[in-house]
Amino acid sequence: MAVREAEPVGSLQEVKEVGLDREDLLAMYRSMLITRGLEERGHILYKQGKIPGSFYTGRGNEAASVGVATAMGPNDVGTPLHRDMGVHVVRGMEPWRVFANYMGREDGPTRGRDGNVHMAMAELGLHTMVSHLPAMLPVATGMALAFKIRGDKRVALGWFGEGSAGRGDAHEAMNFAGVRELPMVFICDNNQWAYSTPTYLSYPVEHIADRAAAYGFEGVVVDGTDVLAVYREARRAIEKARDGGGPTLLECLTLRMEGHAVHDDAFYVPKEMFERWAAYDPIERYRSWLYDQAELTEDEESELTATVKRLLSDALDRAEASPQPDPATLEESVFASVEDLDTPHHK
Amino acid sequence: MAEMTYIQAISDALRLEMRRDPRVFVLGEDVGVYGGAFKVSLGFQEEFGPWRVIDTPLSETAIVGGATGAALMGLRPVAEMQFADFISCAWDHLVTVAAKQFFRARTPVPIVVRLPSGGGFSGGPFHSQNPETSFAHIPGLKIVCPATPHDAKGLLASAIEDPNPVLFFEHKHLYRRIKGEVPDDRYTVPFGHARVHRPGDDATIITWGAMVHTASEAADELAKEGFEAEVVDLRTLIPWDKDRVLEGVQRCSKVLVLHEDTRTAGFGAEIAATIAEEAFEHLDAPVVRITAPDTPVPFAPPLEKAFLPQVEDVVSALRELAAY
Amino acid sequence: MSTGTQTEVVMPQMGVSVSEGTITKWLKQVGEAIGRDEPLLEISTDKVDTEVPSPAEGVVAQILVEEGATVEVGTVLALIAPAGAEVAPPVSAPEAPAPAPQEVPPAPVAVPEPVAAASAPAPEAPAPAAPPEPAPAPAAAATQAQAGNGKTFVSPVVARIAAEHGIDPSAVPGTGTGGRVTKKDILGFIESGAAAAPPPAPEPAPAAVPPPPAPAPAPEPVAAAPEPAPAPAAPAAAPAPEPVPAAAAPPPSPVAPPAPPPQAPAPPAPAPVAGELVPGEELQPMTAMRRGVMEHMRRSVDTAAHVTSAIEVDMARVVALRSKLKPELSNQKVNLTYLAFIARAAVDTILDYPWVNGELRGQSIVTRPFVNLGIAVALDEGKGLIVPVIRNAQDLNLTGTARSIQDLAERARTKKLLPDDVQGGTFTITNPGSFGTFHGTPIINQPQSAILGTYALVKRPWVVQDELGNDVIAIRPIMNLTLTYDHRLVDGAYAGMFLRDLRDRLESWDEAAY
Repeated sequence: MAVREAEPVGSLQEVKEVGLDREDLLAMYRSMLITRGLEERGHILYKQGKIPGSFYTGRGNEAASVGVATAMGPNDVGTPLHRDMGVHVVRGMEPWRVFANYMGREDGPTRGRDGNVHMAMAELGLHTMVSHLPAMLPVATGMALAFKIRGDKRVALGWFGEGSAGRGDAHEAMNFAGVRELPMVFICDNNQWAYSTPTYLSYPVEHIADRAAAYGFEGVVVDGTDVLAVYREARRAIEKARDGGGPTLLECLTLRMEGHAVHDDAFYVPKEMFERWAAYDPIERYRSWLYDQAELTEDEESELTATVKRLLSDALDRAEASPQPDPATLEESVFASVEDLDTPHHK
Repeated sequence: MAEMTYIQAISDALRLEMRRDPRVFVLGEDVGVYGGAFKVSLGFQEEFGPWRVIDTPLSETAIVGGATGAALMGLRPVAEMQFADFISCAWDHLVTVAAKQFFRARTPVPIVVRLPSGGGFSGGPFHSQNPETSFAHIPGLKIVCPATPHDAKGLLASAIEDPNPVLFFEHKHLYRRIKGEVPDDRYTVPFGHARVHRPGDDATIITWGAMVHTASEAADELAKEGFEAEVVDLRTLIPWDKDRVLEGVQRCSKVLVLHEDTRTAGFGAEIAATIAEEAFEHLDAPVVRITAPDTPVPFAPPLEKAFLPQVEDVVSALRELAAY
Repeated sequence: MSTGTQTEVVMPQMGVSVSEGTITKWLKQVGEAIGRDEPLLEISTDKVDTEVPSPAEGVVAQILVEEGATVEVGTVLALIAPAGAEVAPPVSAPEAPAPAPQEVPPAPVAVPEPVAAASAPAPEAPAPAAPPEPAPAPAAAATQAQAGNGKTFVSPVVARIAAEHGIDPSAVPGTGTGGRVTKKDILGFIESGAAAAPPPAPEPAPAAVPPPPAPAPAPEPVAAAPEPAPAPAAPAAAPAPEPVPAAAAPPPSPVAPPAPPPQAPAPPAPAPVAGELVPGEELQPMTAMRRGVMEHMRRSVDTAAHVTSAIEVDMARVVALRSKLKPELSNQKVNLTYLAFIARAAVDTILDYPWVNGELRGQSIVTRPFVNLGIAVALDEGKGLIVPVIRNAQDLNLTGTARSIQDLAERARTKKLLPDDVQGGTFTITNPGSFGTFHGTPIINQPQSAILGTYALVKRPWVVQDELGNDVIAIRPIMNLTLTYDHRLVDGAYAGMFLRDLRDRLESWDEAAY
C-alpha cells in the first residue's frame, strides 16, 4: 500500500463536491485569520513580558490545523499540539481564553496549571497535550478504542510532528490502532524541523506517511499550506474511520515559518527555504483562491479583517482582566473526586 | 462467604465489577484467550466478549496510554501489566499523562493498572520488583497494596470506582499461598484506612503487602517471649493512614517499619520521617527499618533469600526493640 | 504593568532558561512618540536577538537602562507615558542600569531608650537597656541534656513523661539497654507511687523562660521553671558523686540532669489551629521559647494556689545610703542598685521564713538553709526572659549581692551564662517597676513557692511623726513590694509577717550590719 500524494484543490465546484458551501469557506478563512492573529499577538505579549515561560506558535500551519478541524464531526475528539491553534479556534475556543492561558490566568483552560500553549477544552472534544511528544497518540488511540468498544460513530484524531515520530509512542499507538482497526486518524504536522533537526536526521524514508503501510493502513501526504486540500483529505480519512475503515495517517507538509519557540531565531534553516515557502503562505494562498474562485470582494474582506481585529482586541482586554490564579488553591486539584466525573465529555 | 485464595479474590472482584458496570473493561497482554499470565481473567472473554477483554500487542505504552484515552471517553479500563516490573515501559503515561491530566485540565482519569509484583520465587531482577514507592512520589497517583483476599477484593472494587489513576500492586507470592474468607457479594474497602492484622501494645510494626504475613509470624514468635507487637497493614500507600500509624506510635513507643522494596528512599523512609516529625516525644527507641538491601532483586535462591526480609530478620529486630 | 498612568517596559523572558538580556539599542529616545507594538528597543540574550515592541502608545517618558547594560528578566527598562503627557527632557545620558539596587538609607533602628532614672526613680534594673539574646538558656539546656545522668540516654517519650509528672528519670530503675529507663519503667514507677517521694539525687531546676514582648528591664510575670525536675533537696539528702568544689554551702548535684531541654516543650501533638482568620489578622508560628512560656506559665497557674499580698516601704534610708555608697562602689566597678538592697534584705528575711524559700514535693515540704536567689532578666524585644540564679545568696553582703547581680546581668547580656547559672533557684525576685507600675501579681517560678515583686519608687506625701511625736506629712520615696505565694504551703499571715519584716529591714537599714 503505497503512500498517496494528494492533488491540490482547484475549482469551487470541486470544493462543493467535498461538502463546503461559500459560508464554510469564509468561516475557514476567518478561523485562519484568528489563528494567526492570536499567535502574532501572543508573540508580542511574550516580548512585552506578559507571557511567562516560553512561547510557541504555528505560523505556517494555519491551513493544516484549520483544514483538519473543519473536517471533524461535532462528536469527534482529538489531541492537538502547540502548532495547532487553528484546531482550538475552529472547535470554538474563545480567543480571550487562549490569551488567558497564554498569560497563566485563572480563566485559561488550565487555570495557570500548565504552560501557555498547553490548552484544550474537553467540552469541545479536545484534550490537553503534554510536552512529551507524541505521548498523546496512545491516548487518542485509547479514545478510539472506547468508541470501538461502545460502537460509537465517533472518530479520534491524534496529532504528532515528524520529529516526535521518532519515539516509540508513535509506533505503539499506530500498531495498536492498526491491529484493532480503530476509528482514528493520525495527523502528522510535518513542518520539517524538529527544533533544529532536519527531516533527513529524523527519518530515513521519503514520507512519514510511508510508515502507514507497516501498520496496515493508508498513508496520505498533502500540501499543508492548501487548506482545501487538507480539508478534503482529512474529511475522507475521518469518514472512512467512522464507517469502520480503520485508521489513516495524514501527513500535512508545511514549513515552520518561525523558530522552535520565540527564543529561537532558526538560524539553522536555510534562507532560501524560508523564501521558497513564504510564497506558499497558507493565508495568502487561500485569500487569492477566494478572490479567484469564490468571488471574495474587497468589502467582504475588509469587514472580515476588521471583525477579527476587534474580536482579538476585546479578547485581550478581557484576558488581561482575568485574575492570577490563587496560590491557596494549588493543592486542591491533584486528585479528582467522584463529582468531577460528571462532566459532559465523560459520558 | 467462601474461602478464596488472594488471586481468586482479585478475579472475583474484577468479574463482579464488569458485570455491574458495562464501562469496565480489561486490556493487557495475553489477558483474553489465555486469561492473563496468572489467570486472573481466565474465562472472562467467554463471559464478556473480545471487546471487553482485550489482548493488546506487547505495548505497555499503548496499554496505559490507551487506558487513559478510554477513561477520558468515559470508560473504566483495568489494565494489566504482565509483571509490575514492566510498568517502567509505561512510566511516561502514568506520570506524564494520567497523573497530571486532572490537575492541568480538570479531566479525571479513572484507570486501574494491575501490577503483579514482589519476589520469592527466583523471578530475578525483572519479574520480582516492588516499584510502589517510585509512584508514591508522583502527585496524582493512588497506590494500593492489599495483603489479604478480603482486602484484595474490596480494594480492587474501590480502585475501579475511584476517579483517579490507581496502581494496584498485587503480590505474586500471595496469589495462591494466602487464603481467607471473602464475602460473596460486592463490597468496597476504602482507601487510606489501615487495618490491624495482629494486635499488640509493646511495639507497632507498620507494613503492607506480603510483608504483613512476615511481620505477623515474627510477632507471634515474640509473643512467646511476652512481647506483643501489633502489625498494622497500611493497605494503601497513597493515601496512607498517618493517623493510625501515629496512634500506634503513641501507644507502643517502639516502631518497626517493614517493606519488601529496597531501602533508600523507600516508603518506609517517609513513614519514619513522619514519625520523627510528629511523634518524636512518644518514641522510646529509634525507629527500626527492615527492608531489602539496595540491590536489584537477585535470581539464585540463597541470594534472593538474603535480599527479601525474612521472618527471622524481623524476630531479631523485635528482640532488640524489646530489650532496648 | 502601569505605574500611575505610565506603562512599564520590562525585559522579556526569551526562553525558559534565559534569565537576563542585554540592551543593544534604543530605537526611541526620551520624548519621542511611540505606537503600541512599535519596536522600542533591541535586546540580545544568549538564545536570540530581538526587538521589544512597546506595550503602550504614547511618549517615551524614561529610559532606565542604558545600551550595553545586561539586566535580569522582568527588570523595568523604560516608562511610556500617555501621548501629551509632560515628559522631562532627556538627560545627557540614560540613567545607570535600573536593577542596580538603590542605595538604601540606613533604617532608623529602634533602640530601646535607657531607663530614665530621674523621672522614674524605680529600682534600677539588673539588665540594662540593650538586653541580651535569649540563646543562653536553650544552649545551656542542651548541654545539660547531653551530659546524661551517668546511666544512659533518656528517650523522648521518657523525657516527656518525666516532665509531665515532675520525675527525675535518674530516680527510676531502668531495665533497658545499659540500664536505660524505658517507657514501661517510668510508667510503672509512677503507678507504684514511688514518684511522690523525693528522688535520691537532687535536681537543679533551670529557670529560663521568655517574657511578654517588652523591650526593657524586667517584665512583669516571672518565668516558671520549665524543668519538671524538683529543686535541690536538702543537702543532707544529696549524695555528691563528685567532690564538691570549694563553695561554702553544698550546691545542687553537679551531675547534670538528663531532663529534656527546657526550650523544647512537649506538646503531645501539634493541635490544629481553630477558627478562620478574619481579614487583617495574621498567623505566625510560635517560637519554641514562646511555647515554653505558654506551657510553663499555664502549668504554674494550674499547679500553685496563687495569692498576692502587697506592702508599702519607705525607702528613705535606702535612698540616702545608696547615694552615699554609690561613688565608692563605683570605683570598684560595682553598680549599687536598689535591687541589691532589696535582695539583700529579702534573703535575710527568708531565713526567718523558710517556707517562702521552700517547695512542695508530693506530700512533703522541702526547706533549706540556703537561698539560691533568681533574678528575672528580660531579653531584648520580647525575645525571652532568663532567670539567672545567685547561689548561696545568704553568704553575700550588700556589695557582694550587687556585684553578683551585675555579673549575672552582664553575662546574660553577652550570652555567657553557664547551665548552672540558670538552675536551682529557690526564690525569685522580679522587677517590673521600672516602667512605673506600682503593683502586680507575678506568677511563681515552679517548683518554688514564692516570688517577690518590686515596683516603682515614687515620692509620695507620707504621714510620719516628728520629734515631738506629732503626725506630720512628709515627702518620702515609697516603693510597693508584693509577695506572690503558693497558698498550698504559705498562708496569708506567714506571708504578711514576711513582708512586714522585709519592710522593717529596709526602713531601718543598719549600715553596720552590711
